[in-house]
Amino acid sequence: MPGKWDWLRDEIKGIELLRSAPLIFRFISGKLKGPDDLIKCALCPNMCRHACPISIVDGKETTSPTGKARTAFFIREGKLELNLENLEPLYMCLSCNACSEWCPFEFSVADLIRPVKETALQKGVVFKEFRELFENLERYGYIYGEPQLQEEIKSGNVLYLRGCTLRENYPELEKKVLKVLNALGENAFTINEKCCGIPAYNLGNIELFKKLAREQAEIINSSGVEVVVTSCPSCAYAYKVIYPEYGVKIKPKVLHITEFVKEKLNKLKNLKLKDTITFHDPCKLAIGLNEPEILEEILSKIEGLEIKAPRRKGKETFCCGYGGSAISRLKPKLADEIARERLKELQEEAELIVTACPTCKLAFNSNGGKVIDIVELLYEVLEE
Amino acid sequence: MTDFEIVMKHNHKLSSKVLAHLSQVVGERLSTKKVDLLTYSRDYWPITLHWMLKGKLPSLPDAVVWPENKEEVEKVVKIAHESSIPIYAYGGGSGVLGGTIPEKGGIIVDLKRMRSIKLHEEDLLVEVEAGTNGYYLEKYLNKKGYTLGHFPQSLYPSTVGGWIATKATGQFSTKYGGIEDMVLGLDVVLPWGESIELKPHPRSATGPDLKRIFIGSEGTLGIVTKAWLKIWPYPEKRVNLSFASENLNDALDSVRRILRRGAKPAVVRIYDTIETKRHFYKFEKAYGKVATVMILEGDTRTVEAEEKIVEEEFKGTPIGEGPVDHWLKTRFNVKEASEFAPLGVVFDTIEVSINWSKATQLYNEVSKAIRSVKGTLFASAHASHFYPQGVCFYFTFAGVPKGDPTKYYNKVWDAAMRATLSVGGAISHHHGIGRQRREWLQEELGNAFEVLRRIKDALDEKRIMNPGNMGV
Repeated sequence: MPGKWDWLRDEIKGIELLRSAPLIFRFISGKLKGPDDLIKCALCPNMCRHACPISIVDGKETTSPTGKARTAFFIREGKLELNLENLEPLYMCLSCNACSEWCPFEFSVADLIRPVKETALQKGVVFKEFRELFENLERYGYIYGEPQLQEEIKSGNVLYLRGCTLRENYPELEKKVLKVLNALGENAFTINEKCCGIPAYNLGNIELFKKLAREQAEIINSSGVEVVVTSCPSCAYAYKVIYPEYGVKIKPKVLHITEFVKEKLNKLKNLKLKDTITFHDPCKLAIGLNEPEILEEILSKIEGLEIKAPRRKGKETFCCGYGGSAISRLKPKLADEIARERLKELQEEAELIVTACPTCKLAFNSNGGKVIDIVELLYEVLEE
Repeated sequence: MTDFEIVMKHNHKLSSKVLAHLSQVVGERLSTKKVDLLTYSRDYWPITLHWMLKGKLPSLPDAVVWPENKEEVEKVVKIAHESSIPIYAYGGGSGVLGGTIPEKGGIIVDLKRMRSIKLHEEDLLVEVEAGTNGYYLEKYLNKKGYTLGHFPQSLYPSTVGGWIATKATGQFSTKYGGIEDMVLGLDVVLPWGESIELKPHPRSATGPDLKRIFIGSEGTLGIVTKAWLKIWPYPEKRVNLSFASENLNDALDSVRRILRRGAKPAVVRIYDTIETKRHFYKFEKAYGKVATVMILEGDTRTVEAEEKIVEEEFKGTPIGEGPVDHWLKTRFNVKEASEFAPLGVVFDTIEVSINWSKATQLYNEVSKAIRSVKGTLFASAHASHFYPQGVCFYFTFAGVPKGDPTKYYNKVWDAAMRATLSVGGAISHHHGIGRQRREWLQEELGNAFEVLRRIKDALDEKRIMNPGNMGV
């Protein structure tokens, strides 16, 4: 079979290609790496714009995926000053990685521009909203400040990690999770957990992230458990995808609650509920953990449940607006606007929305949506 | 902005009074921040990628506004009109000819916050604001059981307003037509800040079709804020076909005969031997030949009848669905620019159209003209859009010039435009005129250019709407 570049070699015969375009010759021969990824992204006409919630809702070129890459490129090259005004667009990112699904290079814009955020942080160019968060994480290992004491369940065979958002906003969810896990034949226990560190990672504070990761890994690993379950897809993503990139090992198998439930769902017989729902795939679950169909699949096992799928689902899901740690702090109005854009689409399908992420639940609840976690739905089914 | 070299310099500045007025209209949705002005200094004109890598930008606006409704656009335009300030409508910024570059400074009006969609199912119409993203609209329609049938390669980044401004067309145009065939009604804000509604009647004989003045006017006559577009029921059947022909003529003539018989494939693309090797190197039966990919879609019975016509008329070996699947998978991959511009490769695409009787001549002449420019590495083409009367050729060239890349780039463009005009083709099929082609529009239109110039004078006597664009 002919090779990818044979057409070019046929057009510009051998020696002529080497003579007139030596860089191309070396590039197509695999001897030259080509431009770095940030440049490639900065030179793109925004071929992932349609997938980017910021770009759709904010509507600004500067916060579009390519706009961010270009701004990061200009800052990196010293053409634009490293100051808060120029940095702000780079933080207008939900870290949902929807861009990577459409990019021929599979780039994540969040990943490409993070080094500029890291440099900014090292040079002390930091938004005050982030400083507060970093202080909370440093001091308490909890994004909201000093956490309230929560009762721990000391023993069990599965470790359940709640995550900061659930602990702060939906503590009642924990009991329902434990009940569902129990129905699946598992005894779950909890510990004095810390933040997974992903907010620090998203905001470019890699040193703090690494510190939190090491501390959290120590807590988890010392529990001696074999399986860890969490309600938060971002935490699961941190443990499973980002920690290994920084050499931090979580010994037990980590599963998001949907992954755990899916594995054991056959233990629950006669799942029945008469209701009409739609669903929202959390970006970190569908894209980050590569589980684009898991939520719909679990829902489909409930007899009598009418599922009305939204147009943007699976890997085409649309982030709730509260992801990425930055926008909800710097531009809360924009975060809510994104949440409402998504809510509008979901509510065209059904009043009740099922999701599988405490942050998504918070985003939709905060904007008038009627939303429940998949665990709450399963709890209700079990109660019936 | 001392860190950048500005290619198209101007001395325009906005007064604080004007900025205050703008702020009264759009509030915080106004920016004069350096980072925003830099971002809006360009579109996707390929030569500007080289400029950017060398720290050069085409031109800077003085301010950017993001209106949320027609009334805000009217007020912004009124302010610009009163103070004679240049104003540029901005959509997805994916134009490839510099059509949105704020050459004379002034105000960029980015319409992307205007994205409401209203479906009129019985009338087979969608009412959509100009800033709506292309893919966003198509996905919305698909969920409701419809399609617009408009798939430009810029579907992901571009907007409805941009399509109308540039008179765009899409990959499925042989069945669904270009955007001009889809637009039934328009809301337009005129250069003095008043808006008009051109109603979406199925047809009317109420004087000249005023919509046509604005379709393809590239922001020089007004700002489109809303359109009523024709839609189609989502196709119930799709047939993918591909062929390998011995030469370009065989393939072109096959499609000409198919269209004469009234069949309307949605997609037809005929690749010359170079592009066949480039895009379909994994398909042995196509390699070294001329590949054609074709998609028939719509009502089952219509598609079946069309398939029969294609079978009867196509001169070439059927090579299955593989090449079509490959094309469908890769048709939005835009990556060569990112990979090759930093290596010093100057490239672009040039799309021109011609009647059937001169199609092969145009292909040969334009290819030869591009290759004759020193520094050119290759020139190739595919025929991408078809009509019973003729065809669009989409040329791609790349070169590694020894000297100034812009000089080489302009030489190629000049050679291609001159060759197109000498054969009798149209200098643009769907990318438009912008700032790259403006020198050639006058020659293309002959004394009809004067009509365009007078329309411009009549509507925009202060010459504030996208000044310099299209050379009007």
